[in-house]
Amino acid sequence: MKTETLIGKSVPRIDSIRKATGAAKYTADLFLSGMLHAKVLRSPYPHARILDIDTSKAEQLEGVRAVITGKDTKGVKWGVFPYTQDHGMIATDKVRFIGEEVAAVAAVTEEIAQRAVELIDVTYEELPAVFDPEKAMKDDKLIHEDRGTNINVHVDIDVGDVDAAFGEAEIVLEDVFKSAGEAYAMMEPYSVVADFNSEGYLDLWIPNAGPHVRAKALSNLLKMPLNKVRVRKIDIGGAFGGRSEVSPSDVVTALLSIKSRQPVKLVLSREETFTATRQVHDMIVYLKTGADANGMIIARDARVIYDGGAYSSTGPIATSVPFYVYEETYKHPNVRYNGYRVYTNKCPRGMYPHHGRAYQVAMTTHMDMVAEKLGLDPMEIRLRNANRSGDHTATDSVISSCGLSESITMTAEMSRWSEKRGKLPKYRGIGMGSMGLMCGFPMGFRSGATAFIRMNESGQITLFTGMVDNGQGNENMVVQITAEVIGIPMEMVNLVNADTEMTGHDPGAYSQAATFVGGNAVMRAAQDVRRQVLAASAEMMKVAPDELDITNGMIHLKNDNEKSFFIARAARYAMSNGGNIVGKGSYFPKISRDREWVKNPRGQMGGTYSFNTVVTEIEVDPDTGIIKMLDVWAAHDCGKPINPATVEGQIHGIVSRGGVATYMEEIDWDRGQVLNPNLLDYKVPLATDMPEMDVELITTNDPEGPFGAKEGGLTASMNVYKAIVSAFYDATGVWLKELPFTPEKVLKALAKKNN
Amino acid sequence: MGDRSIKLIVNGYSYNVSVPAETTLLEVLREELQLTGTKFGCDTGECGACTVLIDGRPFRSCMTLAVEVEGKRITTIEGLANGGELHPVQKKFVELQAIQCGFCSPGMILTAVAFLGENPKPTRQEVRRAISGNICRCTGYQKIVEAVIAASKINGGGRK
Ligand code: FES
Ligand code: FES
Repeated sequence: MKTETLIGKSVPRIDSIRKATGAAKYTADLFLSGMLHAKVLRSPYPHARILDIDTSKAEQLEGVRAVITGKDTKGVKWGVFPYTQDHGMIATDKVRFIGEEVAAVAAVTEEIAQRAVELIDVTYEELPAVFDPEKAMKDDKLIHEDRGTNINVHVDIDVGDVDAAFGEAEIVLEDVFKSAGEAYAMMEPYSVVADFNSEGYLDLWIPNAGPHVRAKALSNLLKMPLNKVRVRKIDIGGAFGGRSEVSPSDVVTALLSIKSRQPVKLVLSREETFTATRQVHDMIVYLKTGADANGMIIARDARVIYDGGAYSSTGPIATSVPFYVYEETYKHPNVRYNGYRVYTNKCPRGMYPHHGRAYQVAMTTHMDMVAEKLGLDPMEIRLRNANRSGDHTATDSVISSCGLSESITMTAEMSRWSEKRGKLPKYRGIGMGSMGLMCGFPMGFRSGATAFIRMNESGQITLFTGMVDNGQGNENMVVQITAEVIGIPMEMVNLVNADTEMTGHDPGAYSQAATFVGGNAVMRAAQDVRRQVLAASAEMMKVAPDELDITNGMIHLKNDNEKSFFIARAARYAMSNGGNIVGKGSYFPKISRDREWVKNPRGQMGGTYSFNTVVTEIEVDPDTGIIKMLDVWAAHDCGKPINPATVEGQIHGIVSRGGVATYMEEIDWDRGQVLNPNLLDYKVPLATDMPEMDVELITTNDPEGPFGAKEGGLTASMNVYKAIVSAFYDATGVWLKELPFTPEKVLKALAKKNN
Repeated sequence: MGDRSIKLIVNGYSYNVSVPAETTLLEVLREELQLTGTKFGCDTGECGACTVLIDGRPFRSCMTLAVEVEGKRITTIEGLANGGELHPVQKKFVELQAIQCGFCSPGMILTAVAFLGENPKPTRQEVRRAISGNICRCTGYQKIVEAVIAASKINGGGRK
């Protein structure tokens, strides 16, 4: 008689006790015997040719154990795709941004390593640099000569008949929108520990969002067999998309350890984390929108420029995702999208939870402008254009389960939208943003996941999964799923995860794949164990397996809790009749296998899609130009929450990062130099910047997701800044088109309106 | 140059360390004593991840020289629980999921403990102000505020 269920319960997370007591170990907390400390020499120029590097003085300094330069690399360039391989990880011929890795030292103390780095002499020949992507597109100063152009990626999508649709449109709008780049600013500065041992194994502890893809990238870059490169489990202090791919620091630390034959630790400073790890793209969006008299958006033509920085990073994906996120949300019958990711002399740019913010703001603002012209409520125009279950997107993805309309009406109700929109006092406004998002995207044969489970003689199990937790609660999620499926308490589940030696493949904790893909594999492994336990028990009891159930670790007849025995007996029976119970589960999402980001942008993008709406009420201070969020309401279709408090927490966090970023966050530049590489001048939200947030979860029970679950919250980050733009218009009658909406920009816009 | 020999009392134990006079308490805790629960987040006093209690009051250990705290009572996150028994603030952070990546948590928890010692029955707004020197990039602070309020309702929530 099963009454208890763990699914949908906000049980405390299994990782939280170690984090609350200081026992959690992050990379910088590791001390290995004989461990050296590393420091990196970085480029002082945004663009320069390296004429000579003299490391002799550094090598002679007492306490120095290894010095490396680009010559120590294997000459392999990194890129997520074969056609984007452009990053050698340590500069050889040229430096392309301030902060780029030029050389590095491992020494017995950090101080000696630092002194040694200062003794390295590099002769540069400065080259003209380019920082504005539109200027870079003219190609008169090439950042990668061998490519012949500064256009790193061009994504070209053309669906329907855009020109004819514009001809039929009742309303045509044209505007330019911009957004500044942001910093991920995860609380843990980037750190690496590498240990190359005498048997030729390289063990690595790195803050990462996918240990298996990281190990493979490093095995390519270091020209080592994959089995010799082992990314090990470590706690991670936030990722937010910024730790998804291999980093030069990984290569630097690995090479130093290989050269010195000792373990090496590299801990970047906060400033280095800002200037020389991933940043977020600046964007310019030229958008033309056509709508009919009913408020249906019938035509879009977008030219989008992404400031990509010096290297490709996730280029083709980054240049595409904003487009897909929109088409997964709203109907898109005729659309032309030209996305250009352009090289500039800045730190490489990666993906972020609200990656593409200028694009989403542009698309939604035009929708709101259409609504305004037609006298429609912004909520109504969203509902009219919204995708529904079973709809096809412009590039042929099918949306399986879709709670978008519910999220719109639910947040409208929660916020008392109809009583407020257009009716609040001057300088107060309410706005709404909605978005859908794929759970996972095609990564070739790496799109799927495999998990294993072993049961010991006492009936306790160990789950082995490649799933990593950057803070979002993935470890707890897989344990909760496993315990529920087998029918045992969570305390009986040990977890071994995020270690490439001991686990099967997992695509990683980004692009919303964790629960949907990794969780699915774990669920299947647990089902396999359950099947074996029931088979063994049925043999012992001489009944059929389907007459039995497992509750709280006790095996019993389905309708009789009285005669029961502990699961350990089944485990022992299995051991005497063959061996340990061992389960295996794999999951591969139903996605198009021949889809390619640039060459073939068509077919099923994600296994499923999650949806979210955020409504926020804001206040604008007309004297200071300061925007303040007063209230936030969010409704999220996560399919089915495995752990509701965890999902809520994801949404809270993402609203803070996306929301406050709308008016506070941007990286300031002066000719390739970051002016605010610290947490004082780069304004991340503090507790006093955040309003109380009210979150509701919508259950749509996705047919493919584990227990019906999809992703847990990222979608909200795409929404909150759109909600703020819309609320700002409601408050002031002004459309802001350049993110972030700093007090200066707000004051300027208000003054312009009042004149 | 030349090292200074100092005596520190950390989590009830006394330690003799010999370090250069400019060594911060953060460095001593992490590197010398290998108490790595105290986090390095910026080293310039901006994030609060390195917060420890000195005689019950919160200080940023990255901005505090080890020599300044000679003989004072230092509590790090490792010393907050009473044996196996979590401090009420820790308990509520765990129960209410106020911890995500956990990197801010040691500093956040110690700041909250000190604050509840001063203000045992705070409002949510007062909690927000009290923790506004501790950056959390993951949680949006909502569940942290909830956990601190919940801890304030337990007897001994402000025990240090
Ligand atoms: S590490 Fe001390 S305040 Fe950030
Ligand atoms: S929980 Fe990650 S920084 Fe606070």
